Formats: sequence, C-alpha cells, structure tokens
Amino acid sequence: MPVLSLYAQKHYSISGTLKDAATGETLIGATVRIKELPQYGAASNSYGFYSLTATEGDYQVECTYIGYQTTITQVSLHKDQTLNISLQPKNDLKEVVIYSNKPNNDQVSSPQMGVEKLNMAQINSVPVVLGEKDILKTVTLLPGVKAAGEGNTGFYVRGGTSDQNLILLDEATVYNASHLLGFFSTFNSDAIKDVTIFKGGMPAEYGGRLSSVLDIKMNDGNSKDYTVQGGIGLISSRLKVEGPIFDDKGSFMISTRRTNFDAFLKTSSDSTLKGSTLYFYDLNAKANYHFDDKNVIYLSGYFGKDVLGLKNTFGTNWGNTTGTIRFNHIFSSKLFSNTALIYSNYSYAIEDLAIDNNFTATSKIEDVNFKEDFQYSMNEKHTIKFGLNILHHNILPGEISAPQNSSFNDLAVEKREGFEDAAYVSDEWKATNKFTLVYGLRISDFMLLGPGTFKTYDAAGDVLTAVPYGAGSLVKNYFNLEPRLSASFLLDDENSIKASYNRNTQNIHLLTNSTGSTPADVYVMSSNNIKPEIADQLSTGWFKNFSDNIYEFSAEVYYKLLQNQIDYKDGAQLVANPDVESLLTYGSGRAYGVELFLKKKYGRFNGWVGYTLSRTEDKFAAINEDKYFPATQDRTHDLSVVGIYKLTKRWTLSSTFIYSSGNAVSFPTGKYNIGGLTTFSYSERNGYREPANNRLDIGATLEGKEHKKYHSSWTFGIYNVYGHWDPYAITFQDNKNVPNTTETQLTSIFPRPIPSVTWNFKF
Amino acid sequence: MKNHSNFYTGILAIILLTFASCQKVIDLKLNSVTGKLVIEGNVTNVNELQVVKLSQNVPFTNTNVYPPVSGATVTINDQAGNTWHLVEGPAGSYTTTTSFAGVAGVTYSLTVLTGNQTYTASSTMPALVTLDSLSSSSSQYSDKKNTRQVSVYFKDPAGVPNQYRFVMYVNGVQVRDVFTFNDEFSDGKNVNDVLNETDIDIYAGDAVKVEMQCVDEAIYTYWTTLKDMGTDSGGAVAPSNPPSNLTNGAYGYFSAHTTQNKTFTVK
Repeated sequence: MPVLSLYAQKHYSISGTLKDAATGETLIGATVRIKELPQYGAASNSYGFYSLTATEGDYQVECTYIGYQTTITQVSLHKDQTLNISLQPKNDLKEVVIYSNKPNNDQVSSPQMGVEKLNMAQINSVPVVLGEKDILKTVTLLPGVKAAGEGNTGFYVRGGTSDQNLILLDEATVYNASHLLGFFSTFNSDAIKDVTIFKGGMPAEYGGRLSSVLDIKMNDGNSKDYTVQGGIGLISSRLKVEGPIFDDKGSFMISTRRTNFDAFLKTSSDSTLKGSTLYFYDLNAKANYHFDDKNVIYLSGYFGKDVLGLKNTFGTNWGNTTGTIRFNHIFSSKLFSNTALIYSNYSYAIEDLAIDNNFTATSKIEDVNFKEDFQYSMNEKHTIKFGLNILHHNILPGEISAPQNSSFNDLAVEKREGFEDAAYVSDEWKATNKFTLVYGLRISDFMLLGPGTFKTYDAAGDVLTAVPYGAGSLVKNYFNLEPRLSASFLLDDENSIKASYNRNTQNIHLLTNSTGSTPADVYVMSSNNIKPEIADQLSTGWFKNFSDNIYEFSAEVYYKLLQNQIDYKDGAQLVANPDVESLLTYGSGRAYGVELFLKKKYGRFNGWVGYTLSRTEDKFAAINEDKYFPATQDRTHDLSVVGIYKLTKRWTLSSTFIYSSGNAVSFPTGKYNIGGLTTFSYSERNGYREPANNRLDIGATLEGKEHKKYHSSWTFGIYNVYGHWDPYAITFQDNKNVPNTTETQLTSIFPRPIPSVTWNFKF
Repeated sequence: MKNHSNFYTGILAIILLTFASCQKVIDLKLNSVTGKLVIEGNVTNVNELQVVKLSQNVPFTNTNVYPPVSGATVTINDQAGNTWHLVEGPAGSYTTTTSFAGVAGVTYSLTVLTGNQTYTASSTMPALVTLDSLSSSSSQYSDKKNTRQVSVYFKDPAGVPNQYRFVMYVNGVQVRDVFTFNDEFSDGKNVNDVLNETDIDIYAGDAVKVEMQCVDEAIYTYWTTLKDMGTDSGGAVAPSNPPSNLTNGAYGYFSAHTTQNKTFTVK
C-alpha cells in the first residue's frame, strides 16, 4: 500500500499566511510549492492561508502569484512550522513589466475547471462606458459569460438566467447588482481585491444557484500605511481611505462613491430632466483585527442606494445592504476554520406622488446566514473541506400604503420565511503525480415555514387548496443531494485533460417578466407549487500552456440539463400579487456549448481572446407545442477580444472588441386589426434573432509624473468607437408618416462614440 | 401595480434622454403566417344592433387592409335561450336583425361557422360602473412643452372585482394605445386613472372623447396583454398572441361589456 509506505517516514507541515509586502493585504489563490517536490503544491485560500505537508527534509519553498515577485524560502522541515510569506508587488506602476521567472502552470495542473479569476489590474485597464470601471462588465468579456445587453448588469453563464448566478460580496448574497437600472454595477472596484467566477465544476462549498458563483472579496485595508485615493469621472466621484489600526494589529478600509452627473440635470433646459432626480451612492467598509497568529476577526459591510424620481410624479429607491462578521481560527498547521455570520438585505420602494393617486409600495428580502467552514490539509495527497450553512430567508413580497384620498387601498401580501440548510464535504485527492480527483457532496435542505396561508393551484391558476399554518410550522421540505466531481489528468507539464460533473439546486427564484434590470424584483421561494430548480452539468476540457506558461489556452465543452424552470402566463401581474404562484408555468431546459480561451497574462502586451459557440433551449408544455425553443439568453456566437499594451512607462493603451449573436426574440409574422388598433400576430416563441451586437472600445491611461508624496493618473476612453447600433429594443408600430402601413423601429442606447475621462489620485 | 409599468417607462425615458439614445427605422425579414381568422364580437348594454366582424391577418409588409371573411354563419345566444342570427351587411360585418341591450350578469355565447370550422366564445356582462368625469393636467412624461394628459374619474364598487377598458379619441382620432384598469389595488375607491399615452400630443382646446367599458376578467387579460406588449420600453415580456376567449385558435375576442362615453374640451 503506497499510503502505508508514505507514513513510514515522518511528515510535517508548513503553514502560514501570504501577504502583499507593500500593503499587508492577504493574497488569495497564490501558489506555494516545494521546489524539490513540485507535484505537492497548495494554493492560499480566501484568507491567504495555506498548508503543505511533506516528508522530513530540507527544502526550498517557492511562492508565486501573478503580479508579484516569486520568493524562495529555505526551510528545514523537522517539525510542523509556520511560514508567513510577504510577496513584493512586481507590477509596480513605474516599471515596465518584463517577466523573468517562468510563471507556474496552475491552469494546467489544478483540478478545478470552469473557473476564471479576474486580475484587478486588468479590470482597471479595460475601457468601459462613460469611464466607470466595472467588475460585472469585465466578467462578461470571459467565454461562457454573456452580457444581458446594454443598460443591464445581468449576465448569463453557460445558458443560465441572471437569477441563477450567486453573487457574493464577502460571502453575503447581493440580490440586485445594478445601479441606475443596470447601467452600472453595485461593485466599486476600488474596494475589491479578488473576483472569481465559477461556471462549472462547482466546488462543494458553494450552492444555492444553478449557473454560477461570482465570488467577490473586498480589500482588507492597508496594514502598513495610511493611504487616501480617489477619482473624479463623468458619472461618479470616488474616495477610499485605508490604514492600520490597533497598533498594527489590524487595518481598515472605507471606500465610497457617489454620482456627480445629476448636478447637470438641474441645469437642463428640458423640463422633464430638470424636474427629475437620478443618483446613486455606495459605501464599502471593512476592518480586521489579529488577536494573534491564529485568530483573526473581520468585519465588512456594504451599503448602496439608488434614488430616481420625477417631481410631483413618482419616486423610487432601492438598495442592498450586507454585513459580514468572520472569525478565522487556525487550530493547527493542518486545520483552518472560518466562522461567519452574514446579513443581506435588498429592498425597494416606489412612491406615486400624483395627487389623488399617491401610494407607497415596498418590498424586501432579508437573509441571515451562519456558515462554518473547515479546511483540513491532511497530508500530501488529501485536502479535505467540510462545513455547514444555515440560511434564513425572510421575504416581504409587497406592501402598499396609501392615504385615504388615494385611488389605492392599503395592502400587505403575507411575508414568507424559509431555511436553506446545507452541509458539504469534499476531498482533493492527488492520486498520482498526474491524476487529481476532487470529489464531494453537498446536502441541501430547504424548508418553507409558516405563518401564513399557503395555497395550491390547478393548471388554470385557480385555487385548489388554501391551508393556514402557524408560526414556525413546516409547510414544505425539499431535500437534495448534490454530487460534485472534478478530475484532471496531466499529460505533461504543459497539457492536461479535465472533466467535471456537478448537480446544483436552487430554492429562491426571481420572477420578472422583463429582461431589463428593474428594481421591482419579486423573489419567491420553493413551495407547494414551485419545485427546486435542478441543474446537472457535465463538462470536459483540454488545457494547454505554451511559451514557458506565458500563454494559456483552454477548450471546454459543457452540457447542462435543467429541471423545474419557471415561465409566466400571459398578462401575468407579478408585483404585490398574493396569488403570484398561480401565474407560473414550469418546464425544462438544456444548454451546451464550446468555450475557447487564449490568454496572455504576462508581458508588456497582455489580454485574451474568448469565443463561445453555444445553444440554450427551453421547453414548456404551453409554448411552441412542447418543443425545445431558443431561450432569450441563447447566443450562438460570442466573441471577446481584450488587449492591454504598456506603451511607455507612463502610457498604457487598451482595447476591447465584442461580437455576439442577437437575443432570441419573438417577432410578428402577421398583423390584423382589433379594436381599431393594428395588432401583431405571432406564430412561435423566440423564432427570430435581434441583429448581432458588436462594438469596439478603446482606452488609455496616463500615469502622472513620479512624485514622492502623491500619485495621479488620467484615464481616457472611447466607448463604441465606430458608433454601432447595438439593439436595445425592437418595436413594431404604425408608420406615422405613411398612413396605413407599419414599420420596425430599432432603439439603441449608445449608437455613437461616447468619450470619457477620469482623474485618479492617491497619496 | 398597474402603474409600475408606467413608472419604468418614465424612468427609462429619463435615462434614455440623459444618455441621448436613438431610434431608427430598420428593415427586418419577417416570415408570414397569414390568412388566419380574426373575430371581433361585441355585445353592449346599449339597445342597438350588435355587431360581429370577421377578417383575416395579413403579412407585416402589407398595407393595413384586412380581407373580410364573408359567408359565415354567426349566432349569439344567451343563457335564457334567446338566439340571435346575424346577417352580413358590408362584407365581413355581421349584425343582429333586431336591436337588443345586453343585461348585466347574463352570459352571452358566440358561434361562428366558417370554412368548415366552428369557433365559439362566451362572455358575461359586468354591472355598469358610472364614469363620473374627465379632467386634464400637465403631461408627466412628455418631453414636449404644454402637452396635457387626460384622467378618468369613477367610483369603484366595493367587494366585487371590476375590470375596465378605456378608448380615447382626440379630435375624433382614436389614440393608438390600450388602456385598462382593474380594482386589484383600488377596490371601493374613488379612482383617478391617468390615460398615459404617447401617440397623440394633447393640447388645451382639443376635444377629447373617452369611452369606458366594464369588461369581464378574460377580456381584461386580453387587453392588458396587448397593452403590455405595446409598451415600447426595452426588454418587455416575450410578445405573443393575447389569450383569446375564442376556441380553435382564432385571433380576437368576444366581449359582453357596458359602454358609456364622455366628451370634454381640454383646458
């Protein structure tokens, strides 16, 4: 038995935390390896912790991380020991990056597939609309991730809908990631340290959504020095303050942003613009305290709000609030734990201010989540992760309050409560030098609880039963087993084959009969009528590095089957509707595709090309005679090209190009007259395509001259350089100029080049 | 709320204005699935000849001229056993031979036999709710100066579901928008409903006529679905044929509804 012979020798482990030498920020996903035993590497976890085990001996421990200088530490391993490593940032703004060491081959050797980690430096260089750098817009430039469209921060991962993405900010769910109805995302990239998206091969520690996990981590705050940085752009102004606290035992970070363009509205000569309110702001804050080497506490929070309105007409506001308390405890050099208590809230309010018509409608979803995660680095061959998660949902679907003289009555739709509980275990098993297997299981249990009256409906939407339940009594329970499996086989140093299978389930569903990001999100939980959504995904891929790992290439193929998908009956009125579940119909879906990705991570010129060929189809009994039809988010072709070029010490140029097939839509196949109005007839769902989207954006960053005390830079950009009309909406209507005829109208939001400029500073 | 869609149209209007979005007419190649039967049948509470119109749909690129369907057998029944045989006047237009007024609470059935196919539908006439008055105010969402909007006032009866449809005419021209309202959020209230539209700019001095119909639930859903599809905000619901109460896949509807008109001069 190889396992026995392994234990004939003495084994010890090295563990510690990896940090940025300049700021003290922990480094996520950096690689630690023993040079003499290169097959036994470890990656630092979300808190910068790593653990390695090896037989007794003298070794060189090598630590590598993109954008940092590789460090090598001499270690005499004759007992368990702690080795905290600080890495020097290499991507110093003043230097032209030329890579000297050979980068590691993580993408080939790691058993994880379907994952992309975004480099914050790249996010900051990628040109975006109106100069407002945006994590979500950059995520959509990755293969397999598709933008929902202009004016929409929604994204579709491998054929999933927007609500099938789990967006986590320091482990707290962000329900509505859009500002200004989707033109910008809620994430202020100043405050963000790490962005990772899982498209497939989902690790067992994540669950609750079918398609993807977008895991966003905030900066911890500089623990070495006080710094202030900020910027002024066309859309917003930003300010971030960070520094050490408690005698360098901790650090804090506060980052805030507010729109400034609304000041221009007041000066507008247009009376509608002049009387309108339109702004958003957000705040990220985080602090940590190191009790000692083994105990760290983190506090982090996000607060954001959007306010829109028109004088004497209406007002609306919405926003997310999240809060996370986390406690890291290192039991031993092999066992790491994280305990977290997480709060998340999304709410909106709509006010009609018109005389005789005034009312206020509010809605809220509120989560309290307890998480316990363990990471046990057992030995050279096995790393085990296990944990549990107790998540309580509280949904206030809709409440309307109106004064006596209003046209509207007070109304409160019953609130809903439920628990999503999960436990998981997974083992990363390095079976041989070439073969690694990660196998795991996530057990998920959903409980819908009283109080309230719970109804069931027949196919026509009429009430079958209505049963009252007391507080805390169980209405419905759904139990699911979610196997997670991924494997990699290393062909040689530069080539590997990987495969994965995962099942995911989802018990919280966003109801929307609009593809735009409206703030009026209606969330429902699984119930007597709504069954948990289930996805099974199978994927396989070839991963290749070349030219000393400077280039990475991957080709992944996926096939996904979806059950219990939701669609709406005609004329469905979803907001503040106590019988909203009577308006739903259920079906299935399938998605499959190929993703090609070529990336150059290092050098003066870096960037990537991503291409996806895919199909996403739905099947509902009542639509298209129960045959598969293209889902709205189906995009046959999707191409993104991103290039960043460091021209001189001070100038960096960047450019992105995207091309994607148009949305699948229903266009009329005839017309008739009804009630004196031209009315269009339709013969099938989503039988047409909108015209393709394509766009070229360019950007340039000019770093200010070197100065001891401060640093400044200018970012210039042009969005949609050749002024392409990307479709936002296509409408069919009577032609006003030629009586008795009809015409097709295309609406585009940014059909011309949009320049932008932003000034950034740091001191 | 029924007003939500107006809100988002309003918000979008602001954003699109801010970002100066653009519209242009484009040419799309659309398939034609045409020659399908369209039935528009009404029974009103007014003592008159009741009318059912039959026509067909045409390709999108055609002019808005719809071939009438002649030679059909059209009958209307009520639950008391009365039967009215309709006769064709102008091509495709079938009228009862005697006048009658539909009665609240009575269910009327329509049977149309044409091309060896029978189409049926039934509709129950709701009780009349009086349209009290019309008024005008400064337009909320229009970007043009001095435009006005029209509101309807009525008292919704408490304790029963009510559905309404409005038809508006400005200086004799029908506004190309669908207006519906139900009392889901307004049961028993004095209702003031703004007839939001972008088709015709209304100014002081214009003569506005509003027809108010009290319709049954199926007909309300029919018109509301049409209205939602007409909203020209981006990414509206996947459009489809509105759910008709007619059998065998005919387009259109059969509606027993009350009707009343009010006319005023916009101030």
